[in-house]
Amino acid sequence: MDTQSIKQYYRKHRKAIIVAVSGLLYAGGWSIGYFAGLNTLSAATLILAAIVGGYDIAKTAYHEIRSRTLGIKTLVTLAAIGAIAIGSYWEAAAVVFLFALGSYLEGRTMRKTRNALEELLEMTPDTATVRRDGEQKEVPAREVEEGEVVIVKPGEKIPVDGDVVEGESAVNQAPVTGESAPVHKADGDEVYAGTINQEGAIEIATTGSGTDTTLQRIIRRVEEAQEAQSPTESIIDRFATYYTPGVIALSIGAFAVTQNAILSLTLLVIGCPGALVIGPPVSIVSAIGNAARSGVLMKGGEHLEKAGKIDLVAFDKTGTLTKGETTVADVEGFGVTDDEALELAAIAEKKSEHHLADAIVAAAQDRSTTATDGGVAVSADQRESSVSAGSIPDPDDFEVVAGKGVVAHQDDREIVVGNRKLLDERGIDVPDEVAEYVREREERGETAVHVVRGGRVVGVIAMRDELREAAPGVIAQLQEAGIETVMLTGDNERVAAAVADEVGIDDYRAELLPEDKQTVIEEYREEGHVVAMVGDGINDAPSLATADVGIAMGAAGTDTAIETADMALMADDLERIPYAVTLSKATRWNIYENVGLAVLTVTVLLAGVLTSYVTLALGMLVHEASVLAVIGNGMRLLRH
Amino acid sequence: MSETTQLRVLDFDCPSCASTVERALSNEQGVEDVEVHYSTGRVEIEYDDSVADPATFEQTIENQGYTPQPA
Repeated sequence: MDTQSIKQYYRKHRKAIIVAVSGLLYAGGWSIGYFAGLNTLSAATLILAAIVGGYDIAKTAYHEIRSRTLGIKTLVTLAAIGAIAIGSYWEAAAVVFLFALGSYLEGRTMRKTRNALEELLEMTPDTATVRRDGEQKEVPAREVEEGEVVIVKPGEKIPVDGDVVEGESAVNQAPVTGESAPVHKADGDEVYAGTINQEGAIEIATTGSGTDTTLQRIIRRVEEAQEAQSPTESIIDRFATYYTPGVIALSIGAFAVTQNAILSLTLLVIGCPGALVIGPPVSIVSAIGNAARSGVLMKGGEHLEKAGKIDLVAFDKTGTLTKGETTVADVEGFGVTDDEALELAAIAEKKSEHHLADAIVAAAQDRSTTATDGGVAVSADQRESSVSAGSIPDPDDFEVVAGKGVVAHQDDREIVVGNRKLLDERGIDVPDEVAEYVREREERGETAVHVVRGGRVVGVIAMRDELREAAPGVIAQLQEAGIETVMLTGDNERVAAAVADEVGIDDYRAELLPEDKQTVIEEYREEGHVVAMVGDGINDAPSLATADVGIAMGAAGTDTAIETADMALMADDLERIPYAVTLSKATRWNIYENVGLAVLTVTVLLAGVLTSYVTLALGMLVHEASVLAVIGNGMRLLRH
Repeated sequence: MSETTQLRVLDFDCPSCASTVERALSNEQGVEDVEVHYSTGRVEIEYDDSVADPATFEQTIENQGYTPQPA
C-alpha cells in the first residue's frame, strides 16, 4: 500500500480507527493497572486513550462553545476533563471511548436511514440514445433537450420524461408510482424517467430531463418533507436549548452542595439529551423514506403526526371508490324508441364537459354506427375524439344547471336532460312508469337521467360507474384498524345507498354539490374527528385542503395534486390508503415510544446517580445504549 | 454572482452536530446562506462566487469531524 492509499483509507475509516485505537489503549491501560499494578504507566495509557478518542469530540465542543450552542459534546468533554483533573483516569477513558463508539454506531445506522432514497436516485440511467440529424447517438441523459426523440430498447431504463411517439410497450413504473404491475404505454402516453421499459422498443419525445423530471421532483419533495420539523421535534428542540445549560447548572449545584466531583460529572454525562432529540427525526425520516419507496409522498413530519390521529376517512365516490369510467347501462324510451331518446340526450349534452355527458354522447355515436345493447366506456383520453365527432347535430344553444343537468334548444324545441330536481324545478310532470323505472335502476347503484322534450319525459338513461375491485377490501381494512369510513357523492340518496352497501362503507352523504363536500368535512371536524379526505386532488382540491389530511390519488405528473395534498399517492391505487394510514399511526406511536424511552432512561439514571448506583462509565454506557435503541426503534418503520 | 452548491454528510451523529457545521460554514467568507439538515444530511450553501471558494467548504466540514461527499 502506498502512502496515498493509506491516507485515503484513513480518511474513509477515520472514525472507526479512532474508536478502535482508543478502545485498545483503554483496555491496555486498565490491564496494566489491574494486573501489573504499574499505576503511572496505566494512568498515562488511559489519558492517551482519552486524548485519542476525545480529540475530535473536544474539537467539536470547542466549536459548539464558540458558536454558543452547548451540545452533548461539550458536556462529554467537560466530564472527561473533570475526571482527569480529579484523578479518575479510568472513568475519563471509559466515558470518551463509549461516547466515541456510540457516535460511530449512530452515524453508521443513520447513514442507512439517510440512504433510503439513494436507490431511487440510482434508477435514472446516465446516458440516453437520441436521434440527431437522422442518426442514433448516445449522449448524457441530462443533456437531452426538450422535444428531442429518445429511443429506448426493451429492458432498458427510460432516461427522460416524455410522451411516447412510436411503438408500444409495458413499462414498470414502480420507482415513480410504487406500482409493481407494468403499465401499457402506446402513442401519446406519458412515461417517466427512471421507469423500466419491459417489452417493446419505444421512441419518446422528451418533455423533461436531468433534474427536471418527475422522479427528481419527487425525490426533492421527499427530502424537503424529511427535513421539515414536526411539532414534536420543534417542542423538543426548544426544550433542548434550555435543557443542556440546565444540566450544567444542576451539576455545578450538586458539586456545591455535596462536594462530590464524580457525582456532578456523572450528572453532566447522563443529562445529555441524546435519545430525546434523535428519536423523533429518525422515526419521521424512516417513515417518509419507506412511504416514498411505495409511491406515497408524505408532505412532512407535521402531516405525518396528524395523519397518525386520523379516525375518519372520507372518500369521494366518483373516480376514487369507483373507476371513474361512466358507461350507459341502459336506455328506456317512453313514447319514443330507446335510440331516439339517447340521441336527443346526446344533442343536448354534446357541448357539455360533464363526465355523464361524455358517456351519453359516446353511447349515442356508438349506437348510430353499430346497434348494440352493451355500454361504451369513456376514459379521459377518448373524450376528445368522442366529443368532436360529427354524427350528432349541434344544439342551437345549451346551458348547464350545475349539479342538476342541462337545458338545450334545437329546432325551437326545448330538450332538458337532468335529474329529478331539475324536472321539479321546471314543473315537468314525471309519470309513474318513469318514476318506477328510475327507482329500479337507482337501487342497483346506477345514476338515472331523464330526457325531456317539449315538456314531456320521453326517456331515461341509466348510467353506471363500476366500483374499483380493491374498494371493498380497502374499506374493510380501514374498519379493522378502527377507522370510520364515509362516502361523499353528488348522487341521490338511493344510488348512494346502493353503492355504499356494495362497498361496505360505514356511512354516506348523498346529493352533495362540490362545495357541500367541504361543509360536510368541516362538520365532521367540528364533531371532533380527525378527518382524512381521499380524492383526485384536482376537482376535490378544496375538500382536500379542508380536511386534516388531504390524500390525492394518481398524483404522478400532476403538480397541482401534489401541491394541495398532505399525502399524494403517485399511483391511482386505492390499496395504498390503508398502508399510508397505518404507517402514519405506527409512526406516531414510534415517536411516543422513543420520547418515552428517552425520558425513562434519564429518570432512571438520575435516580441511580443520586443514590450512587450509577457511575460515570455506566451512565455513559446506558446513555449510548438508549440512543442506539431509539435509532433502532425508529428504523423499524423502514420495514413497515 | 450568487451560486448554490450542495453536499451530503451521511455521518452526522446528533442534531446539534448539524447546527455546529451550519454555523461554521456560515462564518466563512462570502457565504450568504447555509442550511444543514440532520435528518437527510443535506448541506446547501449559497455563496458569492467572487469571494468564496467552494473547495474550502468540504475542508470546513471535515474540520468539524464529518465526511462530506458530493450530493
